[in-house]
Amino acid sequence: MKFALKVDDKHCWGCKACEVACKQEHRAPTGVKLIRVGEARPGRTNGRADSKFIVNLCRHCEEPPCVPACSLRAITKRDDGIVFLDRGRCTGCGICAKACPYGAVAMDGPGEPAWKCNMCLHRVENGLIPSCADNVCLAHCVYFGDARHIDRMIEEKSWLKLRLEGALGSMKIRVGD
Amino acid sequence: MREFKYSNVEKEMEVYGFDSVVKSHCRGCHGGCGVYVYVKDGKVAKIQGDPDCPINHGTLCSKGLAAAEIAYHPDRLTYPIRRVGPKGSGKWERISWDEALDTIAERIGQYREEHGPESIVLGYGTGRENEAAIYRFANFLGAPSVLTAGHFCYGPRISTSIVTCGTNPIADYENLPKCIMVWGNNVVMSNPDCYKGEPFSVALDAGAKLIVVDPRQTRAAARADIWLQLRPATDTALALGMANVIVNEGLYDREFVENYCFGWDKWVERVNEYPLELVERITWVPEEKIREAARLFATTTPACIQWGVAIEQQVTCADNNRILLHLMGITGNIDAPGGQVLFKTPPIHNVGNFSAHAYLPPEQAAKRLEGRRFRLADRFGIINPKAVWDAVLTEEPYPVKMLFFISSNPVITRANAAEVRRALEKVEFMAVADFFLTPTAQLADIVLPSATWLEMDYTGDFWKRHGWILARRKAVEVGECRSDHEMLNDLAHRVGQGRFWWDDFEGGLDYILKPLGITWKEFKEKHDRIRGPVEYYKYKKAGFSTPTRKFELWSTSLEKWDYDPLPMFREAPEGPESNAALYEEYPYILITGARQPGFFHSENRQIPWLRDLHPDPEIEIHPDTAAKEGIEDGDWVIIESPRGRVRQRARLTSGIDPRVVAGQHGWWFPEKNGTGWRESNINILTRNDYDNCDSAMGATHIRTLLCKIYPENGRAS
Repeated sequence: MKFALKVDDKHCWGCKACEVACKQEHRAPTGVKLIRVGEARPGRTNGRADSKFIVNLCRHCEEPPCVPACSLRAITKRDDGIVFLDRGRCTGCGICAKACPYGAVAMDGPGEPAWKCNMCLHRVENGLIPSCADNVCLAHCVYFGDARHIDRMIEEKSWLKLRLEGALGSMKIRVGD
Repeated sequence: MREFKYSNVEKEMEVYGFDSVVKSHCRGCHGGCGVYVYVKDGKVAKIQGDPDCPINHGTLCSKGLAAAEIAYHPDRLTYPIRRVGPKGSGKWERISWDEALDTIAERIGQYREEHGPESIVLGYGTGRENEAAIYRFANFLGAPSVLTAGHFCYGPRISTSIVTCGTNPIADYENLPKCIMVWGNNVVMSNPDCYKGEPFSVALDAGAKLIVVDPRQTRAAARADIWLQLRPATDTALALGMANVIVNEGLYDREFVENYCFGWDKWVERVNEYPLELVERITWVPEEKIREAARLFATTTPACIQWGVAIEQQVTCADNNRILLHLMGITGNIDAPGGQVLFKTPPIHNVGNFSAHAYLPPEQAAKRLEGRRFRLADRFGIINPKAVWDAVLTEEPYPVKMLFFISSNPVITRANAAEVRRALEKVEFMAVADFFLTPTAQLADIVLPSATWLEMDYTGDFWKRHGWILARRKAVEVGECRSDHEMLNDLAHRVGQGRFWWDDFEGGLDYILKPLGITWKEFKEKHDRIRGPVEYYKYKKAGFSTPTRKFELWSTSLEKWDYDPLPMFREAPEGPESNAALYEEYPYILITGARQPGFFHSENRQIPWLRDLHPDPEIEIHPDTAAKEGIEDGDWVIIESPRGRVRQRARLTSGIDPRVVAGQHGWWFPEKNGTGWRESNINILTRNDYDNCDSAMGATHIRTLLCKIYPENGRAS
């Protein structure tokens, strides 16, 4: 059983509600973002506009480079797929941030423990959906679910049928067999 | 297997140990989104969307999510204060509510006696759902001029749609339009009233075609089937061009036109004055694209137009609105499911009743500032703000001695900020009610601490046109803050109009609900929201609520008030086509007002979670233009118009025409202790003379002006 948290960038409108939902949950300091809505400024592809937003957050990699980078073993890859940063053990050396190819580890000044998305582990362990994925996004493009099925959820817009029936409140996400 | 449920309120309560949860409705913008407010130790601990609310379906924007950060901000005003030093000195003392309201009441009495009630002007900005209470107070006082954003925000949509078809037609996302034409609007970033971004986004996911009319490449423009990148402020011409195609290709709804429209033949004559080659010249949009968009819109049924404020803040305000209404009408989309529905609110004392417009004595109404100039606005109790600044500064046609701004920050949000500030510096007495000490409040004599939506009971959205009324339930109290409604109810008793008000404002809520046969207590105990009767094609039985009972393409009301009954295009007085000499000196069209998530006009710059989304004001510049002017991405840029100069940071994007730059509005810097009102305030650049206003609605044309740009550090020429 592995969890996944993934954003369907193509449908992101750039409203940044996910950033603030994350702030409300984690109260990360100013400038520190565990999820970040970036902009790909418009260029032209075959004469066609292609302006879009790109949402960055921890990919919870299969083989996360940040894990071996941390000599204090503050970052672990859990059996449930979540790459967990234990801020209590972190001394803020910043080596993990340099090791992450996605820029998904945020530093808050020298000596301050690093921040990154732990997929709201404290929520997930208690049966709650990560705050950014808990029906906050107006495009419904932040997906949480089973790692094996998440791409299909995105492809099929797993929420759309229930939404059109007016029953989003009864939306359930199953992870594992 | 593990199972997770969306918006799991019971589990949130259990896991976080919240004390209680209050179901309410947000008002971080114009309101409407259903929320759960979790409370712990008497304070708001978390805010989450309500999945059952038809406005937001559980989703929530950054402003709603950060509402508690506003409520508990260390700079929040939590008790009334009185200025003890000169204006702008920043010296204040704490006073009691009684002292504050007695002082305001005393001034009201004094000016009413010495100069007449017309010397007292109340005002609000976008309105924190206090609009009806403010009008009620002003009307019973006999004060005919209420200074609002109504001349160029929402008021035009309401007044033009009332004269055209009886009420404001709302895009019916619930019934999934097959084609959506977004016109000068970014519904996913902003609040275009009534429905919000979520239902729009869902309608697209359900397969709707998308046409976007916008000078900027929003994400919606990038996703659109057709993006019409028009020359800013040529909307009327573009829409007339589309009407031309629809008429001449016979794509209109014949049954609707023949049976339910008034003035078709003359309207067609007008439309024929706008052939596409002319429209292309005016709008910069290629003929072919206009034709393609017109065909798609007219032949895809049902279709709706998602409009908003941008078309209202132009000299062609009323005609922009009217021609878009006409496009909705002639294509048969008015009151059609999935089109543009004339929703009915439940039977209540509506915003018009509550505002007590009928009680303003006619001799006082006749004194409404510039009411005879802006005659459409006048009919709806709306004024142009400049009339008030002039009356303060020149005392013509009579002196305005007292201003009372309740949730308004005109120093930042009204055109010609320098003039606004001069008027506020001069006015004899000014009271302000707000959350923070804004650049406007800093010039006040008394500032009252307003409650946020988290701190009040209210019949939310009762003034809107989507047909719902919503239960906004008080969740917490903060300091001595009071809702503006409660404050006005109290003040009304102190100025001798208590008999028109109630013991406390719950009586006002009971009054609103009375025709429904329920009290506020019953409403909030039994309902989260109540919807009016939903019925389509009502006009087939009853006609339209207009003088001719028809959908008026030719407006008999405007004709009566001595305006052109048909829409026509007019160039803004400051633009490349109307002032070539000025265009040489100021070679770019500056557009202003694109919305940034997190901010609501001048609000929220002091909220770290929201400021973190956009730390600095930005001006969008095409890379070719930037290169020409020696500007690099992120540079501080001086934007200069004939009125003055401000600074914003360059944001290079090819999503804008090289002849156009887009600056942001609403900027001040709370962290700079009030010195930041001028630095990046786009309204230093805008003009507010009456030539630059819509002649019917008095809308100030703030959406375009001519400017030059150069790097602040003086690099290059």
